Amino acid sequence: MELQLPGFGQWIAAFFTLFVFSFLYKDNILYRFAESVFAGVSFGYYIGLAYINTLEPNLFSPLFGDFSSNWSLLIPFAFGVLLYLRYVPKLAWISQWSLAVYIGYYIGVNLLQRLHGEILPQTKGTMLPLNVEFGQLIGNLVVIVGVITVLIYFFFSSPHRGPLKPAARTGIYFLMISFGASFGYTVMGRISLLIGRLTFLVDEWARPLVATVFGG
Amino acid sequence: MSWADRLLFVDRRIIFLFVFVGALVPIIAPIGLGVTVSPPVQQVFDRIEEMQPGDAVMIAFDYGPSDGPELDPMANSILRHCHFRGVKVVGLSLFPLGGVDMAIARMRQLADELGAADGVGWVNLGYKDGAQAPMKAMGENIASVFPTDANGVPYEEIAMLEGLRNYNNFEMAISLATSILGEWWINLVNAQFGIDVAIGTTAVSAPKYYAYMEAKQTLGVIGGMKGASEYEELVERHYPQAKGLSRTATMGMDVQSIVHLVIIFFILFGNLMFIVTRGKKEAK
Repeated sequence: MELQLPGFGQWIAAFFTLFVFSFLYKDNILYRFAESVFAGVSFGYYIGLAYINTLEPNLFSPLFGDFSSNWSLLIPFAFGVLLYLRYVPKLAWISQWSLAVYIGYYIGVNLLQRLHGEILPQTKGTMLPLNVEFGQLIGNLVVIVGVITVLIYFFFSSPHRGPLKPAARTGIYFLMISFGASFGYTVMGRISLLIGRLTFLVDEWARPLVATVFGG
Repeated sequence: MSWADRLLFVDRRIIFLFVFVGALVPIIAPIGLGVTVSPPVQQVFDRIEEMQPGDAVMIAFDYGPSDGPELDPMANSILRHCHFRGVKVVGLSLFPLGGVDMAIARMRQLADELGAADGVGWVNLGYKDGAQAPMKAMGENIASVFPTDANGVPYEEIAMLEGLRNYNNFEMAISLATSILGEWWINLVNAQFGIDVAIGTTAVSAPKYYAYMEAKQTLGVIGGMKGASEYEELVERHYPQAKGLSRTATMGMDVQSIVHLVIIFFILFGNLMFIVTRGKKEAK
């Protein structure tokens, strides 16, 4: 594979990666600069993205293309504009109409979604048979005991005394194992990010640079 | 301060240095450790294997550049797999910060590697705001949510999308997800529309999805770089034409293994020094 000198984009990305890594030594102005640029660019990107991918094809294009069939889009458009009245102190109260519609819609969607898609199937998922082969029986018992004891641990309406005490204690062990697994996965995820940046620095910046300059 | 105390309070930057070197060496000189495939990943692979040429899969690129090291290799492997099977891919994104660009980059790579043409083997519908609202609306009519593809071509004019009106016309949906979006694909799209949903996710998010898999709400989970390396392995094992294509997750697992050894060493070392210093303090 023929290697070329890294392009302008690669140089920018490499320097910003190194700026952010410099925080590992100590907080410094280069890190803060990279952080601020990232925040600004992300915000600008989001605005452009929302316009090009949502507002333009789903709102402006239908409105200007065929107004008589799409005039009803003016209603959500008006609600969207009303949201910005919160920056006009005297008219800020009108923006709450938009928020009311927005919140109402998402509460309705979420209520059904949580009940139908999470609580009921997850509850059903813990109702496991015990008349199965030994290996599966152990797995099923772990799930059943884990769910019941963790629920007991989070049952704060009565003190964890008597038979509730060992059950709540067992629930803590299940929680600790769960946190341990999650933490292990988190470590793996963070190392993956490091791998991503180091792979970029080595393969897309340093290696072509060294090969081009020193001929390798 | 004794030597044990000094070692116990070792500067964290020295640990960073060890991790940095441990990560850098396998990147420069890959080791090539083996990959074993776990059932959650095998199940996703098998589901695509069952499909016939011409079937359609919806892939949601619900992640941004920061999740690329884990989810890009997954996306590459799944796209290659669909291409080898002759399965049509409809890509989209509901994640604002970079999702659409991740989709564009991955599909462009598929085109460059294997010659899969836009509008023939795959279509990228682009990004849409609101997440749950588009997910719900696509159950009725995808074209109402995505009137055009990412290039501005009207939905009705794309021949590959003919007959793909809503979820009923797809064999499955795969969400390559960070944040809560993967959960919504399960508890909204799978629960309300019945389409099979598979999740490819970052390692940080992976544990919660195993509960959904146990409850049979998702047919499989590809978790983090490890899951991605397993999918790379499966595709290469079943399709000789995949040999020689990039396997960045498999290479990354070399690094993971070395860095984990460094971390385990420091955990054991820290505990050992703690025990030694505690023993000395108790003796005093």
